[in-house]
Amino acid sequence: MALLEIKNVSKRFGGLKAVSDVSMSIETGEIAFIVGPNGAGKTTLFNLITGVHQADAGQILFDGHDITRLSPDRAAKLGIGRTFQIVKPLRNLTVLENTMLGAFLHTSSPAVAEREAAKVLQFLGMTKAMHLPARGMGLPMMKRLEIARALATKPKLILLDEVVAGLPTSEALKLADLLKRLPEWGIAAIGGVEHVMQVVMKIADLVVVLDHGVKIAEGKPQDVVHRPEVIEAYLGPKYKELLKK
Amino acid sequence: MKRPQVMIGAVIFLVALLIPVFLRNDYFLQVIFRLFLFASLGLAWNLVGGYAGQLSLGHAAYFGVGAYGLALLSPSISPLPAIVAGVVLAMISALIIGSVSFRLRGPYFCLATIAFTEVLRLIAKNLPNVTGGDVGTPVPSLFPRNTMVSFYYACVGLTIVAFALSYWVERSRFGYYLMAIREDEDTALSVGVNTARVKLWALLLSAAISALAGALYASLFLFIVPDQMFGVEVSVEIAILPMLGGAGTLLGPLVGSLVLETASEVFKNIFKEAHLLIYGVLVVLVVLFLPEGIVGTLMRKLSWFKSAPPTPFASTPSPGPVEESKRVPLPQPTSE
Amino acid sequence: MDWFYPFVQAILNGILTGALYALIAMGMALIFGVMRIVNFAHGAFLMLGMYATWVLFEYGHVNPYLGFLIAGVLLFAIGAVVYAGLVRHIPVQAEFMIILLTLGVSLISVDSVLLIFGADYHQLNFALLGRNFRMGQISLNAPWVISFGIALLAAAGLYIFVMRTMFGRAARAIAQNAYSAPLMGINIHRVQAVTFGLGAAAAGMAGGLLLPVFYLYPDVGHLFNLKSFLMVVMGGMGSIEGAAAAGLALGVIESLTSLYWGNEWALVVDFVIFILVLSLKPSGIFGSQRA
Repeated sequence: MALLEIKNVSKRFGGLKAVSDVSMSIETGEIAFIVGPNGAGKTTLFNLITGVHQADAGQILFDGHDITRLSPDRAAKLGIGRTFQIVKPLRNLTVLENTMLGAFLHTSSPAVAEREAAKVLQFLGMTKAMHLPARGMGLPMMKRLEIARALATKPKLILLDEVVAGLPTSEALKLADLLKRLPEWGIAAIGGVEHVMQVVMKIADLVVVLDHGVKIAEGKPQDVVHRPEVIEAYLGPKYKELLKK
Repeated sequence: MKRPQVMIGAVIFLVALLIPVFLRNDYFLQVIFRLFLFASLGLAWNLVGGYAGQLSLGHAAYFGVGAYGLALLSPSISPLPAIVAGVVLAMISALIIGSVSFRLRGPYFCLATIAFTEVLRLIAKNLPNVTGGDVGTPVPSLFPRNTMVSFYYACVGLTIVAFALSYWVERSRFGYYLMAIREDEDTALSVGVNTARVKLWALLLSAAISALAGALYASLFLFIVPDQMFGVEVSVEIAILPMLGGAGTLLGPLVGSLVLETASEVFKNIFKEAHLLIYGVLVVLVVLFLPEGIVGTLMRKLSWFKSAPPTPFASTPSPGPVEESKRVPLPQPTSE
Repeated sequence: MDWFYPFVQAILNGILTGALYALIAMGMALIFGVMRIVNFAHGAFLMLGMYATWVLFEYGHVNPYLGFLIAGVLLFAIGAVVYAGLVRHIPVQAEFMIILLTLGVSLISVDSVLLIFGADYHQLNFALLGRNFRMGQISLNAPWVISFGIALLAAAGLYIFVMRTMFGRAARAIAQNAYSAPLMGINIHRVQAVTFGLGAAAAGMAGGLLLPVFYLYPDVGHLFNLKSFLMVVMGGMGSIEGAAAAGLALGVIESLTSLYWGNEWALVVDFVIFILVLSLKPSGIFGSQRA
């Protein structure tokens, strides 16, 4: 049974159908990315899984539980961790305290939370920054902090919302290598929304392509990327013609 | 970690406990009584307004319910159970008010808290057969003998309890959750915090302490009227004191009360009528130049004083030219 | 048919009051819509306008139906100065700070007036006051009718100004997107200062128009402050038309409540409606749902 199963899920906002009858699944041990041009509905789908929005139709199953109608905090308690595309650190707290917040899901003792958080930060190479305030840090650190906080909740599935967006390519690739090591931390699967294709190509096992709310392709990155419908979605119909020739 | 603030607090309490040994002037004791009463109210407010960042302008509701609970129930039952009942009623009010208000964000939350307290005030005014209406209602004295000193010690005791409670909250997971909610509710949700429930718990604690303070206050003055207990001015005073001292800090509400209540008393004697004016000027000055409050600013400037998480308003840029380039999203009334 | 005439009378009285309420609410809605500022000094502005008009009448023998205009100009200046000198320095995100600041301004205003004029209640005394227009069983108090008419004109004027003029467009541009407005050549601070001044002026004028039909005392603004919040929330925050509609509605609701349940409950009904709106449709009865 897949760890995360999305069955025929739809969501509309007013007159706009953001996500239309999308189905996909993520297996244990997989790294899966949802890609697609702007406005494809990736973030909406993401928010449906994490409970920020509720689907109008369809079902989402996680680890055997029906999470279709679940609020974000219940989803987190079930083992779904997430990062935010626009980083949301707790600005007035330190890096360590930010991470402790995640650790508190499994303990009520600040001392234990501090220990666990320190471990996560060490894994992510952030020990030196532990006691710095979260605000005023550079973007690469903030992105790692997002991951740290999510990791501290000991999730089974971690969902990354454009986790390398805005990073220079070198940083992005470094982060990608780090992501590949997440299973060492007990993560069963990784899902995400991504724009930066280099990262996707490097580490993804599965790629799902959305366009205008509809799934148009699915498969291994090398296979999917060359499909005409995918190129058309990104670059427009002209290029599809070019390819045919 | 928070040692300096705890030490200073302990010293203040020690001095307070010793004052009646040397000084038996009732007027003076009453002034300090008021000071500590509002400190305890400020500490209570701080749980919700400071740590959790939910800026309530309706805390007079719990203050008043506690007072009226004692006043209206004590003909039938003895004072102590009446006080407990008042606390319970205040907590029920908090449950109702919180469930509605906490779903709102920003100014809407503020306005909702004001509205609820106003409703209570008007109910108290419009039911003269029950509450005595505008004329008011008598309150039994909790300490018929050795009155002022007993009230004094009860009040300082309550403040010490509130202080200890705040200290415990600050160092617990509950406190971390409150601060996370203040900083970013979505983030808190994403790590499994049931923000609605946490906020309600903070409000329940806050209401309980406020109700005790209300009962104590009412009992000293032996007579209460709706405007005095439920008025917006009271709610504003309850919120302003910790803000001046430093919202979200341990020592802030205490310092704020010390400074503002002393100043207010001095002004009342020197300027007589103009004290509200000076009060208003003080509020404006604090907002413009000391948004983090006294303790908050000290925490930022003095490293030895530091280390506890600073105040919520430090997260907004310190006063200076407005950054017009900051894109401001339209304030949504609810969390949706 | 016994109920008919009192009922109609109450409705008409409600509409008369409602126009004034509408003017007050529009002032606050303007400020909130353009600047996201919850102005707790709005009631104080109304009070200052009322006192200004009264002073002009008592010492300058200026008819209040002229004096209110001067009050409006005065309050415009005060509003603009309060904005430029104080409000401007607080970032918009620090909502609570702005609320506290305007509360401080309110305290200063009320206490200053208290010091200068004392706590006595004052009421205007001139010939027009006792006059009533009679239509069968319905009687309408003349000053109320005049205040109503002028308030309607002022409200309409405000609406046209905000919707039709370049300035109004600039103000609404800022309301929609404070980030890109400067990119289109709009001087944010100037527009916001004027907007704040206009909002204050609306309150001041309403105060002046209220003077003939109400009594004057330093804390008179407090009540209208709370009612303004109610109307602005009911109408949909920032919507001027909504606030106006809510003002009229509130006038009628209060009037009917007074008729059937007595004066004291009118205010309670106000707040119960407020709480209901906040719980069920916070974006306002006349407001649109924003995604």
